[in-house]
Amino acid sequence: MNYQFDWAIVASGKYFDWIVSGLYVTIKLSVVSIALSFLVGLVIAIMRMSHVRPVRWFAHGYLEFFRNTPLLVQIFFWYFGSYKILPLAVNDWMVRQDFEFAAAVIALTIYTSAFIAEDIRSGVRSIPKEQMEAARSSGFSYIRSMQYIILPQAVRLTIPPLINQFLNLMKNSSLAMTIGVAELMYQARQVESYTFKGFEAFSAATLVYLALSFTITGLMTLYDKKVLQPIKGR
Amino acid sequence: MGKKIGMLVLALAMLGALRGSALAADTLAEVKKNGVLVAGVKDSLPPFGSVDPKTKEFVGYDIDFVKYLAKKLGVKVEFKPVTSANRMPMLMESRVDILAATMTKNPERAKQIDFSYTYFLTGQKFLAKKGAVKSLKDLEGKKIGTAKGSTSEQNVKKSIPSATVLSFDDYPQGVLAVQQGKVIAVTTDESILAGQLGKLEKNPATKGKFEIPDLSISEEPYGLGMRKGDANFVKFVNDTLLEMEKNGEAKKIFERWFGPNSDSPIARGKFKITADKRGLQ
Repeated sequence: MNYQFDWAIVASGKYFDWIVSGLYVTIKLSVVSIALSFLVGLVIAIMRMSHVRPVRWFAHGYLEFFRNTPLLVQIFFWYFGSYKILPLAVNDWMVRQDFEFAAAVIALTIYTSAFIAEDIRSGVRSIPKEQMEAARSSGFSYIRSMQYIILPQAVRLTIPPLINQFLNLMKNSSLAMTIGVAELMYQARQVESYTFKGFEAFSAATLVYLALSFTITGLMTLYDKKVLQPIKGR
Repeated sequence: MGKKIGMLVLALAMLGALRGSALAADTLAEVKKNGVLVAGVKDSLPPFGSVDPKTKEFVGYDIDFVKYLAKKLGVKVEFKPVTSANRMPMLMESRVDILAATMTKNPERAKQIDFSYTYFLTGQKFLAKKGAVKSLKDLEGKKIGTAKGSTSEQNVKKSIPSATVLSFDDYPQGVLAVQQGKVIAVTTDESILAGQLGKLEKNPATKGKFEIPDLSISEEPYGLGMRKGDANFVKFVNDTLLEMEKNGEAKKIFERWFGPNSDSPIARGKFKITADKRGLQ
């Protein structure tokens, strides 16, 4: 059997449109989940360093639990497993919405936020503790000290690992296809099952994922240079 | 830079090697020589192909056809589980010799592989909660579940364009989605749905709550899949199928899996294995 390459299939027309619509969903899924996972990760990181024991324990449990279970299991849990714990009315309302997308966002957000929280905590721990003491003695509350003095510096240090987490999230979003979210990978598979041109379809998807990765890295680096560097006042 | 180019050359060479390995061979001679027939089958799709929980053996309608072929060749059988999405590549890359995996014959697929005569005939229907679906109108604008890479998906998109089609990895997941009201119905060939309904009927919690309404959106002829241009093997398989119809073996297999006492009773009606061209025009 000789495989006939046919790049035209994914370069234009119906199948190209499918890939583009998949790209759109992947971007939507990634952007929403990245924003949410950063916020949730920040909150969990602060809880993790809190002086109130139960709060700290909760955050610790959250981290251990979600970092050490496969993302695929979590996606299935939120999509299929939630049926058992949600009231029927809520479930039915969810189904009328875009439940597949929502379940994917929830799973990606929680999973990634656990990693982000740990990265932020490492960043905070590398800030000398005298800074916190100075802030507190100047009359800032714990939360305000974090907000104005510690976290801006910590996040700045956290940029490289954060880039990694955002990249991971974007790549992990391909798992959403298992619950019928029509993202890039799902559409690539669709193209493959309609045309049997698997090599072309998955090559196209690979290139698009690479472009997305470079975009994320580029944006973060730009943010670092333009926004965070001046704060640091070199 | 030189290193990078070296890597690229290596990658291209590997691709070349992959492409060269899939030469059309004489599967019939190969199978006889090796003494084993490797068949790609479904492993969680009763009554066609599933693993018996007690014996850990593959059982089902598809399985029995493969077993008969192997017996006739005088070789052992090795079953490999395949999914709707990966079965064609598995065959083309010579990882299996034959596909007996609820595969609908159609002209696009026939460009890539060769099909046997139709060994099973069914039509695409829906499985839904009792009373939820009375006509195709009830499905418009709703979410409908199916499995990835199957013809079912393409048919339902054609016949009910306003519906949102959700593709799951396999039908049991689609059925779960119906149970939870995430999709109004799951759609595929009646025979597969009958098997799923059989499972639902066995469970006291779901007994009597689901049905397969009498709505059909296509005719689905199943064929055994073989590599393109594998003429000797195709002829052997086709001759064997006709022989099975003549000596009553084909009917016996049908009765075993779809007869009145089976878990998924459906009528064989007028269907007989003949030298047909169904699904290929």
